[in-house]
Amino acid sequence: MKVLFINGSPKSDNSSSELLINALHKLLGNLNEYITITAMKASKQAFLDGVRGADVAVIVFPLYVDGIPSHLLRLLCEVKDELKNINPNVVLYAIANNGFYEGTQNALALNMIQHFCDAAGIRWGQGLGIGAGGMLNSSPIGIAVLKNIGIALETLAENINKQISGDDLFAQPNFPKFLYKTAAHFNWIQSAKKNGLKRNDIYKKH
Amino acid sequence: MTNTLVLQDIDTNGIALNKEKYTIFQASHEVKPCLGCFGCWIKTPGKCVINDNDSDFAITIPHVQEVIIISQLVFGGLSPNIKAIFDRSIGFILPFFCNVNGEMHHKQRYKKRPSLKYLLYANVISDKEKSTAQKLAKANAINLGADNLSVHFYHSTIELLEDLK
Repeated sequence: MKVLFINGSPKSDNSSSELLINALHKLLGNLNEYITITAMKASKQAFLDGVRGADVAVIVFPLYVDGIPSHLLRLLCEVKDELKNINPNVVLYAIANNGFYEGTQNALALNMIQHFCDAAGIRWGQGLGIGAGGMLNSSPIGIAVLKNIGIALETLAENINKQISGDDLFAQPNFPKFLYKTAAHFNWIQSAKKNGLKRNDIYKKH
Repeated sequence: MTNTLVLQDIDTNGIALNKEKYTIFQASHEVKPCLGCFGCWIKTPGKCVINDNDSDFAITIPHVQEVIIISQLVFGGLSPNIKAIFDRSIGFILPFFCNVNGEMHHKQRYKKRPSLKYLLYANVISDKEKSTAQKLAKANAINLGADNLSVHFYHSTIELLEDLK
């Protein structure tokens, strides 16, 4: 099986999307052929070349304002009319992760990817929405606080290997919501301080 | 500055919008995307770090009572240019979290809550896309702290602009 990963993060490295692609790659095994493109840098042609001959494509992206990040959305718009001619049999899967705790908050963005499939005339596989994406580097995916996410990713990987469709899946770390919130607030303040700001500067009004 | 801010991805093609009524924020050029750096929260709080006019949308919203979004309906959501402006405007809210209806959301930076109106256009609009867009507008309203929301669909920009006259 030939798998195309589309990394939808605007970050060049150390993104949650990259961590998820690596974890999914591991679960899918070494018998497949893999290609990864990054949406921020990829041309329309690179996307189409990647899809040519691929059995499945997996878009992995961060949730931006309840939807698809604009650079990825622009790329999808560019390739929409040509995908069916390039490869009508490719099955598209998607993983969205967000900074809020609840994985379900990715549901609309996954619906939009499904609408993209309808518009492009290709088959929709399944979506996975992951909450508390900022925690994805806290342990290997599938272990400790990321156990739940590993279980959801395993289900997705099984369906990808069989190239079958399924209802969207949602997961978040097995970690209390209030602790996630407290840790996130602490991190924002520390990050601002590293930039020479004081805590009150974060509240600036224009 | 008027009380109504219009963010639009179309040129008005000769249909003059009343300048005394609307402040126009044009997004028909290719808007640079968000870099995912969170600089608008931890470096230049409230405003995107990219040094161009598109960073001004987030700091204009708190000075109006109503925001109108004119966007092509794309896959049940906003067009890439309007989405890029939205992605780069999260400085309008704070990085800190709060609970709204049992879900985690961001705290508001400003007390003033503008109303939000979506005018979405496309030649063909499926029921599924319409449903997604309505849910998206509701989710955006929660995240942007807007109390009043309306969503309207059009099959042409002419029809849409007639409504705004």
